[in-house]
Amino acid sequence: MLNYTNTITEEKSYPGLQMKEVKPIMKLIIRGKKREFLSAIGKSLNLLLPTESNTSSTSEKLSALWLSPDEWMIYSNEISKSDNNDYETEILLEKNISKTNLGAVTDVTDQFVMINIKGDKIFDLFETGCPFNFNDFRNKNGSVTQTILAKIDVIIHNQNKNEVNLFVRRSFSQHLFSWMNDSASRL
Amino acid sequence: MFIINCPYCGEREQSEFKAGGEAHIVRPKQPTELSDDQWAEYLFMRKNIKGIQFERWVHTHGCRKWFNVIRDTSNDMIKAVYKMGEKPPTK
Repeated sequence: MLNYTNTITEEKSYPGLQMKEVKPIMKLIIRGKKREFLSAIGKSLNLLLPTESNTSSTSEKLSALWLSPDEWMIYSNEISKSDNNDYETEILLEKNISKTNLGAVTDVTDQFVMINIKGDKIFDLFETGCPFNFNDFRNKNGSVTQTILAKIDVIIHNQNKNEVNLFVRRSFSQHLFSWMNDSASRL
Repeated sequence: MFIINCPYCGEREQSEFKAGGEAHIVRPKQPTELSDDQWAEYLFMRKNIKGIQFERWVHTHGCRKWFNVIRDTSNDMIKAVYKMGEKPPTK
């Protein structure tokens, strides 16, 4: 991870809600259409990419989120070392995917900020500023959506019951986090 | 405000999408042989009818895919949604 002045500095707690930034987390965007691409990813990472819309798959070390029919985000389940900017997974995929022209691999570790939200009021918070219908989403572990929250593009990964990972672009993260704090304080 | 059934992501609110104008406009095969009027006709002139219209939409804040929508412009009723490159459903 690059050396940033971090905008989200502390963990915030409200009744039924805790939010904090988790870092550094490796994040990759991978794109490809061919069947060989899917099998090459599967073999390299020991992780099958989800082909059903709005779903995810998880292995011991990585999670893969469906973003679009030919686009996925892969992120590490555990935090990596903060002084390191090379990722084993990225190097492996570069070798097996990019170099063989099967698809594209882009490191977005520093582009996205991951905010981990816990508690039973997560969806009450989202409902205050999001047009997405969370009724089915909240009951299905591993569901994924790209939508807008307070007019900001976000990717939401329903990890467990009452635990959600939210990805937002770095330049929006401070504003979104302060909006979420403001909104959470009024729930 | 209305709901669009994205062919990739499912039902989403209209604010996640952007409209891309009329669909199925074919680019002239030999642009150099057209007069300025004919070129302007292709480039700018759209039907903009009140009633059933074939449109392109993009799911900007979701999967970022383009697709076609048949929409009644008078009441925003969506008659059909189909992917790019597919023929419009006949009925």
